[in-house]
Amino acid sequence: MANYGMAFDYKLCINCHACEVACKEENGIDLGAKNHRLWIQEDGEIEGDFWNLDREKISFMQMQCQECQDAPCLQACPNGAIYTDDNGIVRLYKEKCDLTLACMKACPYEARYVDEKNHVTDKCIFCADTRLAQGETTTACQITCPAKLRYFGDLDDEESEISKVLQSRKHFTLKPELGTKPKLFYLE
Amino acid sequence: MKRIETSRRKFLQGSVALCVYATSSFSFSQPKQSSSTVANIPYLCNMCRNKCAGFARVENNRVEKLNPNKYFPKSRNMLCPKGNAGIDALYDKDRLKYPLIRIGNKGDGRYKKVTWDEAYEYIKDKLVTIIDQEKDNRSTIAYCNGEGFNKDEYIKFFGSKIGSANFLDEGSICLNTKLGATQLTIGDVGEMDVAGSDYLIISGANRYESLITPDSVDMIHTKQKLVVLDPRCTVTALKADEYLPLNPGTDLAFCLSMIYIAIKEKLYDEKYVEHYFKDFDKLEKHILNNNYTASWAESKTHIPAQKIEQTAREFFSAKRPLYYLGRRSVWSANDFQLRRAMVLINALAGSVNREGGIIFGKPFVLKQEEINEPLYNASEGRFDLEGIVYGSQKGGSWLNFREKVISKTAPYPVRAMFIRKHNIMQNMPNIAKTKQMLEMMDLVVVFDTMPSDTAMMADVILPECTYLEREDMVMSFNRLEPSLALRNQVIQPLYESRSMQDILKGLGKKLSIPLFEVSAKYDEDLQESIKESGMRKAFMEGGYDLAELYKEDVSVRNKKLIIAQFGEKIYNSLKTKGVWHPYIEKEKELYNDYYEYYPKEKRFYTIKRDYKVNCYLKKLRKSGFDPMPTWHSRYDFTIPENSFRLITGRYVTSTQTATTNNIMLKEFKEKNYVWINNQVAKSLDINEDDYLVLSSAVDSVVIQAYPTNKIAPQVLWFAHGFGTASEELTNAYGKGASDNMIIEDKFEKIYGCATMHETNITIRKL
Repeated sequence: MANYGMAFDYKLCINCHACEVACKEENGIDLGAKNHRLWIQEDGEIEGDFWNLDREKISFMQMQCQECQDAPCLQACPNGAIYTDDNGIVRLYKEKCDLTLACMKACPYEARYVDEKNHVTDKCIFCADTRLAQGETTTACQITCPAKLRYFGDLDDEESEISKVLQSRKHFTLKPELGTKPKLFYLE
Repeated sequence: MKRIETSRRKFLQGSVALCVYATSSFSFSQPKQSSSTVANIPYLCNMCRNKCAGFARVENNRVEKLNPNKYFPKSRNMLCPKGNAGIDALYDKDRLKYPLIRIGNKGDGRYKKVTWDEAYEYIKDKLVTIIDQEKDNRSTIAYCNGEGFNKDEYIKFFGSKIGSANFLDEGSICLNTKLGATQLTIGDVGEMDVAGSDYLIISGANRYESLITPDSVDMIHTKQKLVVLDPRCTVTALKADEYLPLNPGTDLAFCLSMIYIAIKEKLYDEKYVEHYFKDFDKLEKHILNNNYTASWAESKTHIPAQKIEQTAREFFSAKRPLYYLGRRSVWSANDFQLRRAMVLINALAGSVNREGGIIFGKPFVLKQEEINEPLYNASEGRFDLEGIVYGSQKGGSWLNFREKVISKTAPYPVRAMFIRKHNIMQNMPNIAKTKQMLEMMDLVVVFDTMPSDTAMMADVILPECTYLEREDMVMSFNRLEPSLALRNQVIQPLYESRSMQDILKGLGKKLSIPLFEVSAKYDEDLQESIKESGMRKAFMEGGYDLAELYKEDVSVRNKKLIIAQFGEKIYNSLKTKGVWHPYIEKEKELYNDYYEYYPKEKRFYTIKRDYKVNCYLKKLRKSGFDPMPTWHSRYDFTIPENSFRLITGRYVTSTQTATTNNIMLKEFKEKNYVWINNQVAKSLDINEDDYLVLSSAVDSVVIQAYPTNKIAPQVLWFAHGFGTASEELTNAYGKGASDNMIIEDKFEKIYGCATMHETNITIRKL
């Protein structure tokens, strides 16, 4: 029993793709660029001409399922296939999924893709059925990151590193206006 | 518009074919057995030169996941994308699986599968004939090995045991100027303490896309001011506090101006200079007389004079400034003196043998096993350092060697080549000449894991196993926080592949007596010794048993060596954790699985040593070269009208050509694109994805365009590692272009290193 979340010290990202490869290898995600549980999004443009570039507006954002506490995908699924597990992770009853794609359409974060091997929609579940099931306390992306910019842990445990970092540093969530209450936080 | 060279992967849906590939690791689709045996085995990565440490999770004898190893100070508990994709190198379907003998023409890829013994027999017959015809001149065999763990053992076999002087390695197409410049200026190649510096200048290196551990990781975690000079806005430049775009090949002008400002404004560490500098008066006079002012440097570099002055003043007033010396470094003809100027800047700031500078440190020195080396009177010396001032006696000069071989100006014919872990058909400029050289050989043997372009030129291909399938000899790492690390075997070699030691053992057994007999025919000293003590004794005592080093398995040799020098506890640490250092298991977690290894007061920032900073190198003056860093008008950045200067580099997901076929890494960069300035592209009506023909004096390639504001107007860039010619590399073949097809084979004369950024290019839209 935990309430897992993740916080990103996003400005440290060098966009090296280690997290993306580690995730694919750990979780056996099908090859193909459209199949991924997480990705790095290059936001903003480098403006100006070469000799006078403005690099300020560009940032690398860690993108994946935002683990909404009010998850639009969960509400949208006509088959009741999506649920929140004991660790606060939005999960899927695979046998109930018949690829209506309602969850994909409902997700404001584009977090889901079609897992063509298992005929379900898939997304990040914090390595719940791989690493966490094996007793690990880290996700594949978190532990491999050269910047160690991903804080993963129990938001209900005041002593956890993620709780402490969220207490001590300013942070924001993506698209807060939608009221989805994400459990992924971006540290300023 | 930016979909090609950025990581907005959602956009890639449109540009990358949506074919459904096989899963990355086929066992994922199989149900996991509940009774599976799981082991976590410590290993050292080999996807690039870094040798980061990891633990391989093995389930039922299959590698399922590679994870970082927190114990290794060097790699700081991380694995990069390439390290993570090591599984796909191990299970690459295109791997070399069996020994092969060529049945077609060189390069056409037709081979027959043979047994190991048939391969050895073929090599023996050819080699005995060649060495007999060359009257026991063993140097008729050239042998080469790229960077890696087993290089020294390979040299022992072909150099010490077989007796050839012609060893070549990656140094002369990589970093020998930097190593030499540091050695000759401060008496040691040193190590840069990136983590300790509070002001870091990087020019000609891209540490966030060409990862070096611990440097790249330390840059992320250290709060320091980062200044980056580059003719291309790399990710390193993007993340820098200050980015100074400049003309290619003009970094030396910037450095000279920094030295000028330091001297003129007396910003240097006077106490340090007085104590350590030799010939400072000569340097001072030279720099001031040449008037290397900031406005002079602006005219060369395109960096505003005020920025140059600001940077110099900030650097010399910082507490622990570091001018990063680079690694893969030989860009321009002035490269040796550029690296010298960088060392001198560090020294002027007193940033040598202290925290945050170039440190000497205290690495562990491993004892070597002794071997009995035969003497071959007929073996001639190497010829590739003729006309080179210093050069590396170990790895020589590839371009000079190749030129002398193909022009038949070498003092004797080179007729056989043994090539290991070195894709020479892709790794050096002007591929046509490498092909010509290999076509001239009577015997080409390639040890590799993949059917590389070089393997396709071989008479015999010997399949080596990957780094996850073998134990290698223990290694010592780093100087500031020294450690020992061991590459343990994770699984048994797949197919019929073998470790290098096993390959050399088999080859040694096959070759020892026949080659000894050739020597006995020509070598008078050996004839005498046979007469005196008999054939058997002369063979044994003379060291002609080529497989001598391989009587015991690597694991047995390691155990003996490590226990004899360091004791059983350390051996056990290397076997169970892959690493040992004095503070292992006393690591302090700083935050979020990021650790401190040596306590600060125990790191070897400063050691007792007498050394001098040599401003003036007499040998250079005697050879007709500049004894001190000097600018010449021929270094000015000028190119013909309608031409571009080609520069090269890497993507973060690729290591030279070794990762080209990796099915996982291919997802991120399937092919390379040529970066062209967006305004220039517009004026030439070149749009994203357009096919361009790039032509140099040596050849042409076709590559798609990526117009961007991140590159200077007269410069083109595309990544190394693509455009492979081998059709056997099915994931890589036909994807992108090879830089070395069109880079001209020019080399500087101090170390004989290929200068990669001296080629001008014209473009034509297809």
